[in-house]
Amino acid sequence: MKKVKKSLLALLIFALIGSMLAACSSGNNDPKPSASPNSTTSDPETGTEEPAREEITIDVFSMLSNFSGEQTGWFAHALKEKFNVKLNIISSNLEGGGDIKFQSMMAGGDLGDLVVFGDTDSKYLDAIAAGMLLDWTKDGLLDNYGKNMLQNAPKALEKNKAQFGGGTSIYGIGNDVGPETEGPSEAKELNYHPNLRWDLYEQLGRPEINTMEDYLPVLKQMQELQPESDSGKPTYAFSMWADWDGNLMMNTKAWAGMHGYEEGDGFNPGGFTLVSADTEDVQGILDEDSYYMRGLRLYFDANQMGLVDPDSITQNFDEAVNKMRDGQLLFSWFSWFDDAYNTPERMAEGKGFHLVPFNEARSFSNGFNPYGGGRVWAIGSKAEHPERVMEVIDWLYSPEGNMVANYGPEGMMWELKDGKPVLTALGEEAFPSNKTPIPAEFGGGVWDDGRNQINNTTFKNTMINPDNGDPYDYTLWTSTLAKAPTKLEENWRAAMDANTPVEWFTKNNKIAVQKAIYTGQPYVEMSDDMKQKQGQVASVIKEYSWKLIYANDEAHFNQLKEEMISKAKGLGYDEIVEFNKEQHKVVFELRKNS
Amino acid sequence: MNPVVEPKRKRVSFTISTRYRLLLYAAPFLILVLVFSYFPLYGWTYAFFNYRVGFPLFDTEFVGFKWFTSIISNEFQVREIVRVMKNTFGISTLGLITSIFPVIFAILLVEIRTNWYKRVVQTLTTLPNFISWVLVYAIAFMLFSVDSGIINKLMISLGLQSGPVNYLASPDHIWIKMTLWSIWKTLGWSAILYIAAITSIDQELYDAAKVDGAGRFRLMWHITLPGVMSTFFVLLLLSIANFINNGLEQYFVFQNSLNKDSIEVLDLYVYNTGLVGYNFSFATAVSMLKSLVSVFLLFVANQLSKWVRGESII
Repeated sequence: MKKVKKSLLALLIFALIGSMLAACSSGNNDPKPSASPNSTTSDPETGTEEPAREEITIDVFSMLSNFSGEQTGWFAHALKEKFNVKLNIISSNLEGGGDIKFQSMMAGGDLGDLVVFGDTDSKYLDAIAAGMLLDWTKDGLLDNYGKNMLQNAPKALEKNKAQFGGGTSIYGIGNDVGPETEGPSEAKELNYHPNLRWDLYEQLGRPEINTMEDYLPVLKQMQELQPESDSGKPTYAFSMWADWDGNLMMNTKAWAGMHGYEEGDGFNPGGFTLVSADTEDVQGILDEDSYYMRGLRLYFDANQMGLVDPDSITQNFDEAVNKMRDGQLLFSWFSWFDDAYNTPERMAEGKGFHLVPFNEARSFSNGFNPYGGGRVWAIGSKAEHPERVMEVIDWLYSPEGNMVANYGPEGMMWELKDGKPVLTALGEEAFPSNKTPIPAEFGGGVWDDGRNQINNTTFKNTMINPDNGDPYDYTLWTSTLAKAPTKLEENWRAAMDANTPVEWFTKNNKIAVQKAIYTGQPYVEMSDDMKQKQGQVASVIKEYSWKLIYANDEAHFNQLKEEMISKAKGLGYDEIVEFNKEQHKVVFELRKNS
Repeated sequence: MNPVVEPKRKRVSFTISTRYRLLLYAAPFLILVLVFSYFPLYGWTYAFFNYRVGFPLFDTEFVGFKWFTSIISNEFQVREIVRVMKNTFGISTLGLITSIFPVIFAILLVEIRTNWYKRVVQTLTTLPNFISWVLVYAIAFMLFSVDSGIINKLMISLGLQSGPVNYLASPDHIWIKMTLWSIWKTLGWSAILYIAAITSIDQELYDAAKVDGAGRFRLMWHITLPGVMSTFFVLLLLSIANFINNGLEQYFVFQNSLNKDSIEVLDLYVYNTGLVGYNFSFATAVSMLKSLVSVFLLFVANQLSKWVRGESII
């Protein structure tokens, strides 16, 4: 009896191991794992019909996302309907911040299925060199599944091939692909410009603002006028977040953007320089009078005046947005950061954020770029279903995909009337980023949380959508422009004698457009030794920048400033800046010729 | 003859002499030690290369002792290491000084007469030991955060503060704050050993002392305390060897730009330079120093033990 039992057990174990091995090997060898056995056996008669596709989850590693976990809501619903895929988003901003998540994923040898890079910097180059990204030209992947990209963004693909693929391979495609047109690519608002609570600013009699420092007394008066938010919390001018900081403190750098300077020159990745968009001026960020140092000083003064949110150092971007939504903030560096406050109800009352420029401003603007920007979409080399990931990316580079990714499927937020897009009642209520409930047929949830959380773009949205002849951006649709302006908009237009911020900047010659540059050559990478120095210096600069803002008094501020500069220089800051400047010179030459 | 000899030979071939049998018993543990304590030392090789994540180690450049010399080659780097060591030793010293608290707590706990109350106190103080540091930080955040923190709300409503204060970002007294958090977390747990030691003290000693007219505090002072002191010293010596290992988690969750200067202990520094600062090889070199210091401290502790108690621990 016992023997029988034993042999039975042995047999069972063998069977178990055997089936496990079989399962493993079939998983590895099956050339088309996407066709699930169920769907093919259930309907053997119709051989021509495409079998229902197996649901897969795409791991999206996004270095731009501010959301971590499974994509939910209407965008998840749209992807499920169209491709039967789910997105699992891994956000490096939220998981450790900086490059920690990227490094641990690199060390693990797998960057996920869909990878989004914040810039074509050394991380992108390392990932390619280490074989972590899939070559799209292999196995006809691009030819078979990338039709829209080939048609709508051929130059962006070409650039990636020449610059990063050694002329033969394509590892990714840049964002914000636009047409070949001169001038600013923004239509109504720029990325960086100071937006204030317009209603409060008007109540103060619109005092004149000459320099960036002049905002402080105005903001102080605004705070006195509006000491509490809607929910009774104290108001602040500046509420910042540290989770986007790279080589320097992002919220401080924003002041450079308002003067027409940006980290990097549009060709080389950023270092410790601020480069003018359209002149040959370069500032080291630690220069005595650089916009970065002025920015730190401004925040320090603001903190002494009680204008800086003490939570800035401990909160992340999402929490700052919630404060904006509640009305706790009075200032925005970015035209999009105040979207959460500018609801239709508030704007109808005349309340809301709008551009309040300073006389020294020269706002940074990107020209249209057919080669695409630095935020790259790529596919991980370990992706199990690269063709299906490719399909999703490709779809985003189609007019239909871009509309859905931004505004949802037709009939939800927008519909076509006489061939032109028009907002539905739901759209009127939910735009730009309100927590408006979405009907269950579109996936439920609320509008804002259901938005595409990958947080990268494909086309420049001010570009014309060939499907209907209007730009992609809903604020530029013929139907939207024809609408009566809100009270806020009316007040602003009357005061500024311009219809939009971009019009105001252009009219007053306060815009600095950075032209797109394309050489067909990769940029010069710094040595490993320098990269390591850059990392050490960056961490000193970031740490001290925050400390400076919260310094106790003038003496403390100066002492910390000295410490920051001597430490950064001691660790090799000057060498990096020299290197950056050399590279910028090359770009300046190219700018002249283009 | 033959049939008798054969089974004998068989027995010999199947039995293992006692020495080897003992070795075999110990083998699994030796293997565990090898795998988990010695095999990881292989990772030290990273200190001799210019390692970049994602690339196989031997594809990256061999740099010899470059990272070791770079620890002391630059004045600013030396200052960094000094700062980090200061934090490490500072927080560890506070930890050593406060390691007497569990003894006091255990002695007082044993003195509690009401049984159910004693149990409640012991359970409540032991529980925090099982909470991870991440959750401890969540509790700290609930108490001290700017917008929703209870302390801020309380202080403002009592009129003691004009506006919210970001307590978690404050760099003041961070060593003491960290020590207090770790006492809160480990007090009950550390007391368990001492409670066991106290219960093993001979009851007759107490009875004899009572006959001699000793009161409650005299009993504690002259009998209980000396009774647990030997346990305390063993643990103290062990913790000296562990002086440099303050762990990473606690300081990792509490760190931010403002308090980083004084909270960054060696383990955290290794993490910050390795993973955050993109420099695995340098971080490995620094962490190797740590092992050297630990071994040195272990010998110091051993010598101390010889002097104090007349016996060595290794």
